Amino acid sequence: MLLAVLFANSEGNILVERFSGVPAEERLHWRSFLVKLGADNLKGVKNEELLVACHKSVYIVYTVLGDVSIYVVGKDEYDELALAEVIFVIISSVKDVCGKPPTERLFLDKYGKICLCLDEIVWKGMLENADKDRIRRLTRLKPPTEF
Amino acid sequence: MAQPLVKKDDDRDDEADYSPFLGIEKGAVLQEARVFNDPQLEPRRCSQVITKLLYLLNQGETFTKIEATEVFFAVTKLFQSRDTGLRRMVYLMIKELSPSADEVIIVTSSLMKDMNSKTDMYRANAIRVLCRITDGTLLTQIERYLKQAIVDKNPVVASAALVSGIHLLQTNPEIVRRWSNEVQEAVQSRAALVQFHALALLHQIRQNDRLAVSKLVTSLTRGNVRSPLAQCLLIRYTSQVIRESGTNTQTGDRPFYDFLEGCLRHKAEMVIFEAARAITELSGVTSRELTPAITVLQLFLSSSKPVLRFAAVRTLNKVAMTHPMAVTNCNIDMESLISDQNRSIATLAITTLLKTGNESSVDRLMKQITNFMSDIADEFKIVVVEAIRSLCLKFPLKYRALMNFLSNILREEGGFEYKKAIVDSIVILIRDIPDAKESGLLHLCEFIEDCEFTYLSTQILHFLGIEGPKTSDPSKYIRYIYNRVILENATVRASAVSTLAKFGAMVDSLKPRIFVLLRRCLFDSDDEVRDRATLYLNTLGGDGSVVETDKDVKDFLFGLLDIPLVNLETSLKNYEPSEEPFDIDCVPREVKSQPLAEKKAPGKKPTGLGAPPSGPTSTVDAYEKLLSSIPEYASFGKPFKSSAPVELTEAETEYAVNVVKHIFDRHVVFQYNCTNTIPEQLLENVTVIVDASDAEEFSEVSTKPLRSLPYDSPGQTFVAFEKPDGVPAVGKFSNMLKFIVKEVDPTTGETEEDGVEDEYQLEDLEVVAADYVLKVGVSNFRNAWESMGPEFERVDEYGLGPRESLAEAVSTVISLLGLQPCEGTEVVPSNSRSHTCLLSGVFIGNMKVLVRLSFGIDGPKEVAMKLAVRSEDESVSDAIHEIVASG
Repeated sequence: MLLAVLFANSEGNILVERFSGVPAEERLHWRSFLVKLGADNLKGVKNEELLVACHKSVYIVYTVLGDVSIYVVGKDEYDELALAEVIFVIISSVKDVCGKPPTERLFLDKYGKICLCLDEIVWKGMLENADKDRIRRLTRLKPPTEF
Repeated sequence: MAQPLVKKDDDRDDEADYSPFLGIEKGAVLQEARVFNDPQLEPRRCSQVITKLLYLLNQGETFTKIEATEVFFAVTKLFQSRDTGLRRMVYLMIKELSPSADEVIIVTSSLMKDMNSKTDMYRANAIRVLCRITDGTLLTQIERYLKQAIVDKNPVVASAALVSGIHLLQTNPEIVRRWSNEVQEAVQSRAALVQFHALALLHQIRQNDRLAVSKLVTSLTRGNVRSPLAQCLLIRYTSQVIRESGTNTQTGDRPFYDFLEGCLRHKAEMVIFEAARAITELSGVTSRELTPAITVLQLFLSSSKPVLRFAAVRTLNKVAMTHPMAVTNCNIDMESLISDQNRSIATLAITTLLKTGNESSVDRLMKQITNFMSDIADEFKIVVVEAIRSLCLKFPLKYRALMNFLSNILREEGGFEYKKAIVDSIVILIRDIPDAKESGLLHLCEFIEDCEFTYLSTQILHFLGIEGPKTSDPSKYIRYIYNRVILENATVRASAVSTLAKFGAMVDSLKPRIFVLLRRCLFDSDDEVRDRATLYLNTLGGDGSVVETDKDVKDFLFGLLDIPLVNLETSLKNYEPSEEPFDIDCVPREVKSQPLAEKKAPGKKPTGLGAPPSGPTSTVDAYEKLLSSIPEYASFGKPFKSSAPVELTEAETEYAVNVVKHIFDRHVVFQYNCTNTIPEQLLENVTVIVDASDAEEFSEVSTKPLRSLPYDSPGQTFVAFEKPDGVPAVGKFSNMLKFIVKEVDPTTGETEEDGVEDEYQLEDLEVVAADYVLKVGVSNFRNAWESMGPEFERVDEYGLGPRESLAEAVSTVISLLGLQPCEGTEVVPSNSRSHTCLLSGVFIGNMKVLVRLSFGIDGPKEVAMKLAVRSEDESVSDAIHEIVASG
């Protein structure tokens, strides 16, 4: 299960958070845990360089992209490698939408589009689409090209 | 040149400061949402408003029921627009709002229309939205369309239906199971993701049918799976099938191993890793099977991708627990990971190295770790500390380096959990490695000189009080303890006073000086500290009014509180203030259903300070106390050894009985712990009739019956035997539980007056030679062996006959002798043809024994053994040989 996808700005404010299978009362803990993890480790990390951690049986893969840090959390079949795949799709979609690694402003400008991309990538804790071109077409309600 | 640069920076600042959602406010956005109701819809504007709503929801804002309903109804109006971008936003918005069952009806017709639309994308999205908001009744109406969608030629539509199926399986399993055929067809799809989703759903549908899963795996492992994600799933399902089927006993081959091994050459790293991990997790995996998996993991260790390095080192770390030798090849790659930027990877690498390292590499490793410790977080440090603790127990000769390391990191900055882990480790090392005791205690003393954690200070003071007086020079600890009385808070001061008193009680030469210090504590500002000082001054040097003998003083200071805290608390709550003082002897000592709890956690190891010597020693103390409270046994002296409880009944029988064997110099006492598990019965006058006709050297001297045994409240009955002095007499005893049973009405708790006599057969019990041996380890076997000298050495050779393996022969001899294996020699490396095992212990009569066992195995698995025994007495060396000869 993909437990969470979270975007934060450089100060640790949440831009987007999507949880699935995480009880409401635990979300706040996760949010602060992830933000702290980022604050401790993401300084000086290059764009898109992946960092990985595990907490009990849960895996976390995270990175920075422009002004935004991205975290994905998963367990069971969504281990560090599957999460790397998921975050790769997320990164490429965000870059695709924004045209470059986004500043916070650019990210917020494209907020609606990014929400649509996430909706195509993750659905209730499962990876649904993994190809950025297809995702771009799907967010515009265009059929994929390859069939 | 400079100007445009400055200008550019300014621009950037402006851009960063201004957010399109600056000052966004829920009420205002809800007002804006009214544009959805306009007769002339503006798609762009509507999309912007939806984006704002999404932003609010993503920031954790919630809508009230009325607000949500209003927005939902307004959003449904947008179905009128033909703008595709807006339609996509509408789908998302409806999912986010997840309308309640009575509102869903508004959109179902629009969504059903979209579901049959010619535009594929409308179909896919409508399916996802409908499945998100639907309930069982609606599902049966749309089931037909969903089944079609699963086999739709557009992969997006098919995936949408399949993923919906996975979610719906949780709520409406009976409906989704009917889609099996379509899903089966989708598994063969040419589109990678469809195959992945279909395989996941098909497996979930069939997961309870082992045969079906096995068939699925068999057919797919032969065929062609396109998607790497699906291939990973297949590997997982395959390992599940392997786990459930076991090896083919005829050929020794493991089914599907070839498939897993083939996956190691797949082009996707994900698949390679999944296969390697599956292989390492096979039960009873052989080194031949492991090798190819370890090889690919080793390659991953030097990958440029951190995720792959992490995955590989994490898996190798697990393998190192069961097959440390298999991982040693990767040690060089792992050492370079110690400097990895990603600290999770570095920590895993270090702990793996600590597991696989040998004695000679310890020093080098410690040097590397020292540099590493300064820049990792506390949680990683704790993992390292725990790994170092087990390493030290494995190589006790290296205690000096490891103990120094622990004391160094103890002085550095760190949080409570980290410090506690270090202190716990030092305590365990002190307890298990006698040579490490003095230096370990001094490290702890230095730590409390500057310790900010009250809990740790008090625990260490308690531990010092028990261990300090037994050292060669107890006086050197006093300064550290008394400093606490001067410098610390009241809790620590009170603990320090208790510790001082313990030194005073145990070390006569220190007593006068301790008195001086305790007297100073009488003027402390805290009443608890003053009270304790007064109490100890009176007990230690009093006129006999508080305690009478020296033994009483020690009992008082070192004895454990043998009253369950719960019982004490209840009694104190029930106590009414009156002329009569509270009498602690009136507190019941019976622990409710404690033996049942004990059974659940057998062999639990004591950990650190959490329970100072309260692990095994506390049971010994408790037994000692229990036995000495029975006047008949008071003359037997101190028990030499108390065995672990031996069950005499099967689990879940009417009466649960286990027995503890207490060995004295001239006596043996059986303590039968009985529990009555029938609420409708009360047992009275419970005894065990022991038939000792197969134990000739024993003669029964007394029986102590248990007066009453109510439901679920355990009690004990005892039988004592006399035996020849100091001789390890053995024998077999048959047992019969005898009692009077009375009926109880469980609703009222009333007991009938008349009872019936009854008997209950228990299993037999044996006293074996190992009962006369205490497991006591030595840290340096060679030194101990040399210093014991060859005077009473006895050497002989034995044929052990055909054995399953060398390891099995070694463990049989160890358990037969009941001695403590030293220096990790109880572990036999696989495939070795010979092995030396070192044992130590104390024989009854307080005689030290050292044993050197040399084993050899030949082709037809005949095992031969050379047994060399050294002890302080000739008869003991002979007795050990006797045990082996007769066993």
